[in-house]
Amino acid sequence: MKNTTHFGFKEVATQDKQSMVRGVFDSVANQYDLMNDVLSFGAHRLWKHYTIATSNVKAGDKVLDIAGGTGDLARAFAMKVGATGQVVLSDINAAMLSEGRKNLINKGVSGVQFVQLSGEQIPFADNTFDCVSIAFGLRNVTDKDQCIGEMYRVLKPGGCLLILEFSKTDIALLEKFYDFYSFNVMPQLGKIIANDEQSYQYLAESIRKHPDQETLKQMVLDAGFGICEYHNLSGGIVALHKGIKV
Amino acid sequence: MQSIILQSALNHLLEVHQIDIRPLEGKTVHFSLQDFPIEVNFICTNARIFVTTDTTTHADVDIKLKSNVFLQLMQGEDLTELLRQDKIIIHGDVKTTQLLVDLLQQVEFDFEEELSKFTGDIVAHQVGRIATKFKSSDNPLAAIKDKITHFLIAPKRFH
Repeated sequence: MKNTTHFGFKEVATQDKQSMVRGVFDSVANQYDLMNDVLSFGAHRLWKHYTIATSNVKAGDKVLDIAGGTGDLARAFAMKVGATGQVVLSDINAAMLSEGRKNLINKGVSGVQFVQLSGEQIPFADNTFDCVSIAFGLRNVTDKDQCIGEMYRVLKPGGCLLILEFSKTDIALLEKFYDFYSFNVMPQLGKIIANDEQSYQYLAESIRKHPDQETLKQMVLDAGFGICEYHNLSGGIVALHKGIKV
Repeated sequence: MQSIILQSALNHLLEVHQIDIRPLEGKTVHFSLQDFPIEVNFICTNARIFVTTDTTTHADVDIKLKSNVFLQLMQGEDLTELLRQDKIIIHGDVKTTQLLVDLLQQVEFDFEEELSKFTGDIVAHQVGRIATKFKSSDNPLAAIKDKITHFLIAPKRFH
């Protein structure tokens, strides 16, 4: 691994990134859902819905949601797998995991297991899960190749990987608007609503540093997945990569 | 979107009717229409079927046919008969093809229901109405052309 990596637009020591990302999410955890709704105009719900529809998860399946935060995906997966299945909601950040647990309890969802873990070292045996998902989490991971490799390892043969993440739009007009919105509006909204401008500045920067659709697809294939395709959502602002372990 | 709807409908069918797809396990079937830019891969694995639009991976069976033949097939036309008439080109195992076609023939798409999850009920209903008329027509291409023309020249009457 390289000695330095990016934290937004900053170059930082590799070993420091994880704690810096933790700082961001410690700061935004209690306003995370509200900010998601405000910043995406509610579109994150549709993106997640599309992810669930793509998953092919069925009753009795085992699902691992990495960087699952406040539990949106885990809740939907829990409904799909039913009482005979298993959903593990995981996050590296204790504050986010705590919000997720609170949310799911408030919404009457039971049976979900909560595990604090790093996507780079997943503490489950090989070939355990039918589906592994990570939504808006991969860009915060220090070693993305390691994380994708770990997700491949814990998936059963025939299992499905879902990576929902901000990506690159190739619509020129949308790109200009999106740049303006990301660097001018988002941090200000973060300041007003969550009293935290810096975290939302980091959000905008980390999106720009994240690999584009084709690069991420190649990373998924390089990890061993036999098939990987992606679907652009909202003009490519977000992309869903689906890998199948065959 | 179409691939997701198809995938969802197929797997719903497998789950509801407890259909055993072990004979298809590990198979990838490439399916393309000759007169439309539509091609998908059906990947049968882990007791479910994935439908992907990325068709670059190796397929065990390659099926090519025209859209009207596809509609015939979906309406229950016999695969062997269509093969005998040279209306379908199949490279690979015909038995695998037959198993997949048997499944596809059982699928009942609630297109509106699936689409409404993403677009809301009103848009889905309008698209569903067009799709229903398209499906029930003897000449689907002419019917859809007629609908689009009708929509363009008289949008207010398009209900």
